[in-house]
Amino acid sequence: MFKNYIKIAWRNLIKDKLNTGLNVIGLSVAFAVAILLGMAAMYQLSYDGFHENGDSIYKIVKTQQTPKGPQAGTVHPAPFATKLKTEVPGVKRITRYLQDGTLAILGDKEMDMNIIWVDKDFFSMFSLPIINGDQNEPLGDVSSIVLTEKAAVSLFGTTAIVGESFNLLVEGKEKPFTISAVAKDNVPESNLEFQMAAQFEGHHEYLNNKDNWDANYHDVYVELEDGVTASSFKKSSQSYIDSHYEKAISELKRDGASADVNGRYMNLDMIPLTDVHFLSLKNGFVEVSRSLPYLILGVAFLILFIACVNYVNMSIAKSAKRLKEIGMRKTLGAQKKQLFFQFWSESLFVFLVSICIGVVLSFAFVNEFKTTFNTNINVDMLLKPTFLLVLLGVVILITIFVGGYPALLMSRLGTIQSLKGKLESTGSNRVRDVLMVFQFGIAILLITGTLVLWGQIDYMRNIDLGYDKEQVISFPLNGKRNSNDVVDLLRDELKGNPNIISISGADNNLGLGRDGSRSTSKIGFEFEGRAVTTNFLVVDHEFVQTLGIDLVRGRNFESASDSLGVVINEAMAKELGVEDPLLAQLELDDGKYYPVLGVVKDYNFNDLDRAIEPITFFMTREWGVTYAYAKVGPKNMAASFDILESTWKKLEPNAEFLGSFLDENVDRTFNREKTTAKMISSGSILAIILSCMGLFAMSLLIVSQRTKEIGIRKVVGASVGSITYILTKDFLKLVFVAFIIASPIAWWVMREWLQNYTYRIDLSIWFFIGAGAIAVIIAMLTIGSRTIRAARANPVKSLRTE
Amino acid sequence: MLLQLRNVFKWVQQGGQRIFLLKDINLEVAEGEFISIMGPSGSGKSTLLNVIGMLDTFDEGEYDFLSESVHTLKEKYRSNLYKEYIGFVFQSYHLLDDLTVEENLEMPLLYKKIKGSERKALVADMLDRFNIVGKKDLFPTQLSGGQQQLVGVARALIGKPKLILADEPTGNLNSQQSEEIMQLFKKLNEEEGVTIIQVTHSEKNAEYGSRIINLLDGRKI
Repeated sequence: MFKNYIKIAWRNLIKDKLNTGLNVIGLSVAFAVAILLGMAAMYQLSYDGFHENGDSIYKIVKTQQTPKGPQAGTVHPAPFATKLKTEVPGVKRITRYLQDGTLAILGDKEMDMNIIWVDKDFFSMFSLPIINGDQNEPLGDVSSIVLTEKAAVSLFGTTAIVGESFNLLVEGKEKPFTISAVAKDNVPESNLEFQMAAQFEGHHEYLNNKDNWDANYHDVYVELEDGVTASSFKKSSQSYIDSHYEKAISELKRDGASADVNGRYMNLDMIPLTDVHFLSLKNGFVEVSRSLPYLILGVAFLILFIACVNYVNMSIAKSAKRLKEIGMRKTLGAQKKQLFFQFWSESLFVFLVSICIGVVLSFAFVNEFKTTFNTNINVDMLLKPTFLLVLLGVVILITIFVGGYPALLMSRLGTIQSLKGKLESTGSNRVRDVLMVFQFGIAILLITGTLVLWGQIDYMRNIDLGYDKEQVISFPLNGKRNSNDVVDLLRDELKGNPNIISISGADNNLGLGRDGSRSTSKIGFEFEGRAVTTNFLVVDHEFVQTLGIDLVRGRNFESASDSLGVVINEAMAKELGVEDPLLAQLELDDGKYYPVLGVVKDYNFNDLDRAIEPITFFMTREWGVTYAYAKVGPKNMAASFDILESTWKKLEPNAEFLGSFLDENVDRTFNREKTTAKMISSGSILAIILSCMGLFAMSLLIVSQRTKEIGIRKVVGASVGSITYILTKDFLKLVFVAFIIASPIAWWVMREWLQNYTYRIDLSIWFFIGAGAIAVIIAMLTIGSRTIRAARANPVKSLRTE
Repeated sequence: MLLQLRNVFKWVQQGGQRIFLLKDINLEVAEGEFISIMGPSGSGKSTLLNVIGMLDTFDEGEYDFLSESVHTLKEKYRSNLYKEYIGFVFQSYHLLDDLTVEENLEMPLLYKKIKGSERKALVADMLDRFNIVGKKDLFPTQLSGGQQQLVGVARALIGKPKLILADEPTGNLNSQQSEEIMQLFKKLNEEEGVTIIQVTHSEKNAEYGSRIINLLDGRKI
């Protein structure tokens, strides 16, 4: 019997090649895409899940209630962690964590490397296996250092280097370190990325800050003892906070901050390790949001859904052609169960083939997918038991429901009716209509999302940031020389060049440079009896004109002697709240007052999802600059770039030149948006293609079912136009209903998403009309060719087929 | 006694009114009979045939088939009953286009759960008996109407039924083909004792039968 099912299934599938082909192609593509997207989402969700003690490790976030509302921060002062361990019960292990870039020097070799400064417990808390050297306490003393395999190979050419030493550039001086161990390379799904790890006490700022509770500059991870929960630890840490932050808390009270619901002004929050990747401190609140991976999973699900709808619809529509067979089989004694299994086995066959092709496709395109969507998935993930289990579950569910529903419908048809070839079609047509509305609703939703996303990206790309991003190149000063000297040297070297207009430096980049590093520096001080917080930027005196920032009041730094004054932006002037900011004196160091020399127009030094904050420019050689900025002439910018690079190479022959134009840097900050937009737009393209494949197959079937009707209508005088209209009308109605349903949902979703951006586009109605129009036009083109052909056919011919 | 219908009514509800398809039908069929049902279009011939074949239900009355009361049986038992004892022949043959002649013949046996080797033997027998061995691998569309109906009859017979129900078996055939099929029925009836009930329009075909039942507006006259 089973052999018979297979034989008949095969014949039926072969007979209707076009339909089967469309089904198999649609399902395989959907499976392939769903597998890839599923892997991408699983990869995201698996972040930091590999640490054995992960369940009891937390990142500590401190939230304080300021007069402007809550403010959460992950950074802590140096004594915080050590005191927490001794004073609050429940800490098993704790480590400070400070990420930094530094120059590693081995003989003539100089390399820019990532280093983390951590406590001794670091390697025993986290599952970061040591492959060579000291397993137990690799960070035993201040001069010991751990390298990853890759770092070891790139610096030494081998991993057998335990006991060897090399130098790190610390504050302009070379300081020796001895390698105590080599660790396994970072796995991609780890947030604790490093090339080198050294003891926290070895960091150059440690000695100054050892007992300073005001300088917050590093993260803290804690592993709690067994049986201690995050909430109980949070509670027992309250008195600790109250005693060590007494001064800060009283200042918060004085400035008019209101306490939180528990009547507290400062609190610790414990973020589970697996949540750290999804942590954001937006608007001062701690927020753990896994919406991106779930969005990806959602898109995968929608695409699978669309493909399945196609299959169900086509099977139901096709069943009309098989009524006679169903009836005949029933008169010959077939029972419902047997018919069900016959039709279901056909579906099973199609699904199995599609899944196999889908898996092959996903293997084939995994590399393209990785580069296009900036994800680190690999095919090994496919073989993980959890993934296989989920995949298997999905496949079984789909086979049962998607294959089972049409089979059930067909097996339940009445014998006489099916023999007569009549189908009580109202019921199944309603199901078909609902499914198609769903399908097109999803497509319209995704198209709207695509349009809005690209609109927002385009807006952010073209917005006036308040500085010149087209003609300015920035690059990190990652060489051995004193950075201020390098800027001066560059300026001298390039003085005569008409294409290099000016050179300057600052201790932060704008946007995201090729070195991939970003930072913010903030400082708080007292001003007229209030606490004021500002970003601060160390610049050199040509910064304002090099960046083309407008000066609105006062003057810019003019020469090196202006180093006792500051230049502020409008937001800072407003924050100070005085009538004439040029008269203000800022007490930025204890007892040291800095006069305000000038006020510049606000410019977006942060990403566009944030409003412009107060910023203060300092011009001091003491703290040094870390990035150089060069303004080039509008002509031949590529040549100017090359000149800059060669001049840099002359000054710092061992350091890499990582320059890029600021507009590229700004573009890089939208990478997340661009990846999302790419994913959604590919999803929507796929959704619309799949929906249209379904529509196309459906129109073929409908036309063939209505051949007689078309013939009769033509005989009594209907025109080609009116027949085309009749045939298309029903489908367009469905697309229209889908539009009515999907648009408000799309509007709501996109509005929520745009809330993330301080600078955002208006949700104009044209996004929705545009998406609807695209759907309608594509649907019309899909149905059009077949219906017009049917409408133009000779009626005598179409009537003869009956 | 093969089957007996007592006071069988069948109706449909249309606008609050009952339209009778069968009205008070009483019928007894003994084994070995050859009955022709005649009557104008819409008189209920096919409906009656379908009721007898248990493909269709009725609203009132009683129906015994081989001393089983059909009207009280569940669908599953009903289908077991007709699968065992009844063969159908249709005007438009109703062969499955996707299956070869041989496979079409095999199909009823599959649903009767007969073993593979036995199936092969029965099918070979039937092909032999109807002289269509050479056509066993052809598909129905490759045969003439007469040949298709021949396969149809063979398929109805392969399960060794006690009763064959034929709904205008010659309606789509030319006179010569009709003649052949009717001769075949007669032979089956006389030589093998198969009971046959046929619906027909043609007086000539009705002559082959031993008894004629005339229907008008669902009523026996």
